Order: sequence, then C-alpha cells, then structure tokens
Amino acid sequence: MTTTQPRHSRRTEILEDRPVNLDGFVEEWPEKGLVAMESDFDPAPSVRVEDGRIVELDGRARADFDFMDTFIADHAIDVETTEASMAVPSDEIARMLINPTVSRQDVLAVTRGLTPAKILDVVKLMNVVEIMQGMQKMRARRTPANQGHSTSARDNPLQVAVDAAEGALRGFAELETTLGVLRYAPLVAIALQVGAQVGRGGVLTQCALEEATELELGMRGITAYAETISIYGTESVFVDGDDTPWSKSFLASAYASRGIKMRFTSGTGSEVQMGNAEGKSMLYLEIRCVLMAKGAGVQGLQNGSISCIGVPGAMPGGIRAVAAENLVASMVDLECASGNDQSFSHSAMRRTARMMPQLLPGTDFVCSGYSGVPNADNMFAGSNFDTDDYDDWNTIQRDLQVDGGLRHIREDEILQVRNKAARALQALFAELDLPRITDEEVEAATYANGSEDYPERDVLEDLKGAQSVMDRGITGLDLVTALERTGFHDVAENLLTVLRQRVSGDLLQTSAILTHDFVPLSAINDANDYAGPGTGYRLQGERWEQLKKLRHVTSAENPETEVS
Amino acid sequence: MSAPAAVRTLTLKEIGPAQRASRPDEVVIAVSPAFAETFTRTIVDVPHAEVIRQVLAGIEEQGVTARMVKVWDTADLAAIAHTGARLSGSGISIGLLSRGTTMIHQRDLPRLSNLELFPQSPLLDAEVFRRIGSNAAQYAKGESPAPVPTRNDQMARPRWQAKAALLHLKEFECIVAGRRPVEVEPVISRA
Repeated sequence: MTTTQPRHSRRTEILEDRPVNLDGFVEEWPEKGLVAMESDFDPAPSVRVEDGRIVELDGRARADFDFMDTFIADHAIDVETTEASMAVPSDEIARMLINPTVSRQDVLAVTRGLTPAKILDVVKLMNVVEIMQGMQKMRARRTPANQGHSTSARDNPLQVAVDAAEGALRGFAELETTLGVLRYAPLVAIALQVGAQVGRGGVLTQCALEEATELELGMRGITAYAETISIYGTESVFVDGDDTPWSKSFLASAYASRGIKMRFTSGTGSEVQMGNAEGKSMLYLEIRCVLMAKGAGVQGLQNGSISCIGVPGAMPGGIRAVAAENLVASMVDLECASGNDQSFSHSAMRRTARMMPQLLPGTDFVCSGYSGVPNADNMFAGSNFDTDDYDDWNTIQRDLQVDGGLRHIREDEILQVRNKAARALQALFAELDLPRITDEEVEAATYANGSEDYPERDVLEDLKGAQSVMDRGITGLDLVTALERTGFHDVAENLLTVLRQRVSGDLLQTSAILTHDFVPLSAINDANDYAGPGTGYRLQGERWEQLKKLRHVTSAENPETEVS
Repeated sequence: MSAPAAVRTLTLKEIGPAQRASRPDEVVIAVSPAFAETFTRTIVDVPHAEVIRQVLAGIEEQGVTARMVKVWDTADLAAIAHTGARLSGSGISIGLLSRGTTMIHQRDLPRLSNLELFPQSPLLDAEVFRRIGSNAAQYAKGESPAPVPTRNDQMARPRWQAKAALLHLKEFECIVAGRRPVEVEPVISRA
C-alpha cells in the first residue's frame, strides 16, 4: 500500500499545527442521541391532567411512563398550573426570558408548569446572546460567585491546605477536593477545611468521594457541603448505576436532615457517552435531569456537561447547548454551578469562548470549579482554567467590567496566608496526633507552585493517620478545639461559625454562600432583581476598585512606578 | 498518526463454539463484536493485528499459551472479559474492545471487578499491549506481577471523548443478541 503524499501549502501546515486541531470533532448521529439540541427524535411537548394528576407527558401516556417520567410528572411539574403554562406559546416564553420588564418571579410562575419537551422547545428558539440575557435575569442569587478545586497529585494534605487558603483569599466562595488514593480523604478534607478558613472565613468546602463516605464526612462536620451526587436523563443509565430518582432523593434528604448544603450533578453527553441515550438529544435528556433535581427538592444543580464536556464540545452547536442547560437550571429556580470545570480544549481561544456565556451574564458559580492548583495536580482530571490562568482571568474581569468572583492579590499577602495555613495544619496534626508536618514542609508550602515542590510525605503513615481520623470519630468540633488550643483562635472561630450554619439551616436556601462576615447570601436575602440596564448586580464601588488591580498597572500619578 | 507502510491485517477464522478448557497454562483473549471486523484499528489507529500480535507475544514470552474467543452478545468490557475468564483454563482472560479499552479479568472475581483495567484507550500503544499480555500470563501462572503502570492524560478528553462515544455506539450496533461466544484463530498477514 504505497501512497504519494499530496503537497500541502505552507498555510495548511501552519493551521494544521494550531492547538485547536488537537481537539476532536464528530458528525451528528441523531438516531443514537449523538446530537446537541436539535433532533427530530425528541418528543413534542404535551401534557394532560386528570383528577389532579398528570396522565400524559410529552406524548407519552402514564401507562407508558418510565421512572423518570413518573418522577417528573409527580414531583417536578406544578399540576395546578401546567395546562395553562403549556398553552403559552414557546416563543412567548422565550421572549419573557429575555424581556427585562418581565420579572424573574413572573417567568417562574410559567416555568414551574412546563414539561421537559416544552422547555427544550423554548430554549431552542434562543441564540447564545439571548441565552445569556436569560441567565442574567434568571440566576437565583444576585451576586455571582466562583468555585475552586484544591487537590494534589500526591494527595498531599499540606498542598491542599495552602492552595485552599490562597484560593479563598483570591475569592472562591466554595472549594472542593478529591483524591487519587481514596483512603487519604479524611486528612485531605480536613486540610481543605482548615486552609479555606485561614484564607477567608466563611468559604464552604466539600470532598468528592463515593456517596457513603462523602455523607459521613459531611455529617461529621469535616466538610460543609456536597455536590457530587450524579443524576442521569434516562432510566437505563440510572439503573446501570444501581440508582433511581428516589434513591438520590433519599440521599439528598440525609444531607438536609443535618442542615448541610447540597446540590446534584448532571450534564449533557453523559447518557450518549454510556451508550444509553435512547435516541434523544443531549439537551433534552439534561432537561429531564434538571427537572428531576427540582422534583427531589434539592436547592441546586452542578451542570454544564461537566466531565462529559468533550462530547457536546465535539458537536455542532454543542457549547450553545451547554449554555442552554445552565439557563434551564436557573429558569426553574435552582442554584446553578455552571461547569467550566474540566479540561476542554487545547486552544486558549476556545477555552475562553466556552466560558463567556457563564462569565458575562454571571451565574451562581461561574466555574464549578476553577483549578486552584496547577492542572497537573488536578485530581478532577484537569479544569478549563488553572492557577496559570489567574492573571488572565483577572484581566478579563477588568477589561469587560464583569465579576467572575476572583481578584488579584499581592504576593506578600498570598505568602502570608499560605504560611499561616501550613502552620495551622502543622499544629492541628500535632495536636490530633496525626503524622508530623515538618518546618521544612511548611517553608516549601509557602513558596510552592505544584506537588513536586514539596518534600515527599510518608504515604503509609499518612494513610494510617487518615484511618485513625475515621476510627476515632473525629468531627469538625474536634478541629475547632484543636485549633483553639494551638493558638489559631481566629481560624477556630471561623470554622465554628461555618459549623453553626447547619443549626440555622440558612445554607439550605437556594444559592447560599457565606460572606466574609458570615452573612448567608442566598436567593432569599440576595434575590436577583435584574430588570434591565442599571438594575441587578453591578460591578461598582469597593468591589470594582478591587478588580481594577492587576499584577502590573502603571501609576497615573508617577508613571515610573506601578501600583498593585 | 497514520498507519505504517507495511500493514499487517488480522482475520479471525471461526473454529466453533467456544468451550471451557481445562489446561491451566492458558490465557483467553476475548474480543468485542466489531473487533477485527467492522473496525480494524483502535481509537488511535493501532491496527488490531498489532494489538493481537503484541498481546500474544507478551503471553508467549512467559511460556503460557493463548486462545482467542469472539464475544457477540455484548459490548460491555466487563462482561466480555468475564466471559473469557470463565472459558479460560487458568481462569485468566484479557478483554478487548475495538477502540482499545482493555481489562485483565479473573474467573472468581465479580463481573464488575477486575485484576487490571486500562480505561483510557487513546493511551494504549503496542508496548502497553505487550505488557498486558505478559501480566495476564503471569497471573495465569499464579504469580503476582506489578500492575502495568496506568497512564493519564488530561487532554485526552477534548481530543477523544466524543470519538470514543461514537465508537461505542458503533460497537453496540455489531452486537448479535443471543449468539454464543465463538472460538477464533487469529490469522495475521502482511498486506
């Protein structure tokens, strides 16, 4: 088999070498569900109510419902209003979404009665700018925020603590971690919590694990919220994972019973990735997930394709569909942690374009999350943005005057919180008789970038320590006590105040985060009141002054110096 | 990643219904419905002929024999590998999907468990396939080899995730429901 290579132009060779051509792109195959949001195989919207019960949903009679249909019909859709809502033409609902004179509450009065196919019909009418306009109004919390990852390729608790501290100082309202070696979880979750409270009191933390351990760490007060409770859009994928909408709802209520914030996770592409899309478009199936989450009574959803982003990312219109799925979560009054959290493209331009529909209108969490460690240390398999991108992110916020939740911090302040977080964890481990953290490690942690900059730890000793945390039943209160005893009074106070929130239950409200003075900000007391130009959240005042700062800005007063 | 100039092709010659063997020194290689038929290369264009050549070499260099079966009624890797393990005289099998995803399985383990799993098909090359063959053979001899180091590439997702989904769907289309596993003889020829 000999072939002569055709001659290429120099330009083709240059284009061939561009990073974007390392990404994968695939043709649509709608019959199998390999299509973003425009498919002839999705059902047409319909609803019929008899005796106060939905007996037909999107062309399917109750006798033919799968368990997703049953759950959505019985728990997610408002039976009282559904027939009236479904009678509103889709283009009228789409216009309500973007019309600033129609209030968010007025839109919710309609959307709570819509079926999955009707919601799809509405968002299919919207281009990305209209989707962003809708998001600007429908986001539940007035103030946008961001979430970060703090993980370590070596599961080094010290790295997780100091990068959490830096991330908290830079502005993440939530921080999450996960593990390479799962048995490390108790030590790493403790490190995340302590580091976060050093960086900025009130930051919420979670540790993504298998569900039972994740719940136990939450109940013990070692973590403050939970997010990695995955749901799917077809019955077959649910069953594959030995789960149902009811089992997930039960898990959600376990968190609620302890006043712990939680949200579900879903995203376009997961069903087709597992070969069980049942011939439906990715967005249609994701809308079923959104309504399932709504029906379960959880306050929020992490969506935006998440770990399947390579699938919609390879399809025509895929990133529009991803923006639409975030909007759908917000337009049924759920908190939306809007993706941008997984390695997405080799192209920096594509990475940036992909997040614009979330950054520009603002979402409850623009990233879910942004890697607060170098991507090589990111145990969520890499994020769309990492620590190398901090200055770019800050500059884009300043250029467009939008609030993406982060800010530039001077190096001396960063070194100070990193060092303090390292010393706090060192003292805590010593007090709790956990494996020693040396002064040499504290010094390394203060100045490090990635896990390779730290002395190696004795992994076996750490794993024994992690096990002893579980065996001894160590709780969040034990951490507070130990921090207080070792002279970290302010950190102890911060952690205790976070733990107290589970008594008041304020973090169970939609889109709740804690401010630096521990005031819960949620859809209750910080409701999005966008009503057109000059209203809603505006980047101004003290916050805007913070975001004007970058690493290098020439002083107007003395151009021979820089301000920062 | 273009195919090498001298391409080897693999054909699977059907011998008959796959039987359970009693000889304890064999590894069964169980392949998916589209393997070496609808598809001829893995997701990163490693020819199936090369995959099988390397796996066989890895097994043989440990002094163990290999037998190959085609599984027709599923495209689920755990099910394919476990089917192979139950047919294997040693109880050890290597399961292979067309796109390259591979698993070493053992008869007495639960179906959804495994001895070694190589989930990231784009990272499997000839060398890894040879080491997988070698490790499976060592398990068959009752040894406890160090697992073949797994590779990880965070940029595999943007490049390969959607193609993997497409290949998975295509593999599904090749399933012949109800057809029993068939013993096949791998015939590798130079085109």
